[in-house]
Amino acid sequence: MDPMRTDATDAAVALSYINETAPVLAIWLDAELCIVEANALAKKLLPGGAIGRNLDQIVVDFAASLDLRDLISRPNEVHMLTMKSAAGLPETYHFRFFPLVAGTLALGSLDFAEQQRMRNEVLELNRELSNLTRQLHLANAELRELHELKNQFLGMAAHDLRKPVGIIMTYSEFVLDEAGDTLSAEHHEFIRSCLKAAQGMKVLIDDFLDISVIESGHLRLNQIRLSVGEILEGVSEMGGVLARKKKVTLVLQPADRGLRVRVDAPKLQQVLLNLVGNAIEHSQPGQTIWLAIDQRAGELVFSVRDEGQGLSTEDQQALFKAFASGRTRKTGGERSTGLGLMIARKIVEAHCGRIWVESQSGAGATFSFSIPLEAEVRALQETRP
Amino acid sequence: MDHELTPTAASEDAYHCYLDGLLAGDRKRCKVVVEGWLESNPDLRVLYEGLFQRSLYEVGSLWEHSRVSVATEHLATAITESMLALVYPRLLSQNHIAKSALVTCAANEYHQIGAKMTADIFEMHGWRCWFLGANTPASDLVEFIGEKHPDVVALSLSLYFNQDALFSMVKTIREAFPTVPMLLGGQGFLAGGSVRFEGIEAVRYLSSLAKLEEWIDSHGSDAH
Repeated sequence: MDPMRTDATDAAVALSYINETAPVLAIWLDAELCIVEANALAKKLLPGGAIGRNLDQIVVDFAASLDLRDLISRPNEVHMLTMKSAAGLPETYHFRFFPLVAGTLALGSLDFAEQQRMRNEVLELNRELSNLTRQLHLANAELRELHELKNQFLGMAAHDLRKPVGIIMTYSEFVLDEAGDTLSAEHHEFIRSCLKAAQGMKVLIDDFLDISVIESGHLRLNQIRLSVGEILEGVSEMGGVLARKKKVTLVLQPADRGLRVRVDAPKLQQVLLNLVGNAIEHSQPGQTIWLAIDQRAGELVFSVRDEGQGLSTEDQQALFKAFASGRTRKTGGERSTGLGLMIARKIVEAHCGRIWVESQSGAGATFSFSIPLEAEVRALQETRP
Repeated sequence: MDHELTPTAASEDAYHCYLDGLLAGDRKRCKVVVEGWLESNPDLRVLYEGLFQRSLYEVGSLWEHSRVSVATEHLATAITESMLALVYPRLLSQNHIAKSALVTCAANEYHQIGAKMTADIFEMHGWRCWFLGANTPASDLVEFIGEKHPDVVALSLSLYFNQDALFSMVKTIREAFPTVPMLLGGQGFLAGGSVRFEGIEAVRYLSSLAKLEEWIDSHGSDAH
């Protein structure tokens, strides 16, 4: 032991340790509980470096239940105090107050057992999170596989059903054409019902086939440059037939029939026929449907407007999702798969376009989609990952 | 629907056992209580309100009276948040209706569990729900609302002293979206303060998860 060492030297060593490195908050208070000095840790952790503030300014006391002078008057007890911090989040310390010749020394430490418990809990939670993440990825992989299997099954089933349905349709038409005269009115109606049911089934099967292709990520576009007039050819013919059957007027309003755009024509016509078909199905005899095509700011916008019962905001939100039949009724009781608009959305999106609806309940609906003109399509495709 | 919670002896025992587990930082004990509770009482709202909310309010009160530390309060919150995962297999398999809600906390608000329970209640009723979590800046929230167009925005407040930040956030949203309904709730209103929000168009304070359920029932629900 150093013979020159004194009690004062020991005290100075201890004080230096408290001031510079000890893991405790040390703050010196005057008689008014104002902080007149603080160690390095207190200056770092307490708001504004602590010095010059009153103790009650940095102690969190939501319930206004603390009597700090009373706590200070009990130097042999440990008091739990939550302090504001420089980082913004409060922290709880266990304080003891030591009376000095002038003022009070307050020493506050963290509860190390509690810290240990917290650390263990973090480690345990992290382990659980890691295991759960692994299970989640495994479950996702299984779901992807099942989804792929479902698509394959759907595609195969739809493909294999197409042929027998085609045979039913062909022979029903054949019987009606060739032997219609020999059938009774009742038998005639039986065959017509068979044909109608088979036609409905074919629409269903076609939708399922489209969905299986889209869902499996194999939707490929065969894009060529075509004029608006060429795109509209098949649509006006087929749409016109459907409209006349329902005694609805279909009006075409293309802005410029000569305008050329790069599209997969059969698929785009499928979208247009779907929209026109829906409009017809939701129209009353005597009403009008307008098919308009406009060029706007680098886009070609196709719109189908009807005078039907319109759509509520709720129905509009679910419209372009699978099996979204909505609450509106088709005026002729027509059946649908609820897949048509979803297929339309996928086809439009594959063209880098977008599809939307504007409607109010009871005031008709306008379904629109846009296809970017060529320069914009190139730019969009380049920015895609 | 009966919105009153009527504590039974069994549920009181479970509650005290859960609270003790929270204060001791004993997640395993809490998990046993929750699993037992779910077996005997499948109503999730009752679990949220009767066990989770009640116990966390108690822990918060103990903290406010310097009876437990900040760390214990944080641990209790973390344990309860991890308990929500036990509920998700029942909750997230519900069919969705064409309604959506955006649920979040005010800026500077780091207590997200109340908001999470609110989001779960919407999910339970078939609503599509976007949960943005703790401390969401107003600018991010406005951008998200513009992108998703939710049918309602629900804002949770846990600490009373964050009310000014919430008020400012509500005003910002209202300026950007004059009609979107906003719902407010959480422990931060228990000591009052909801009156100042009443002057803002289509803003409503709901004092409990039961009131939230009533609101959802009157605005479209697929639950039960």
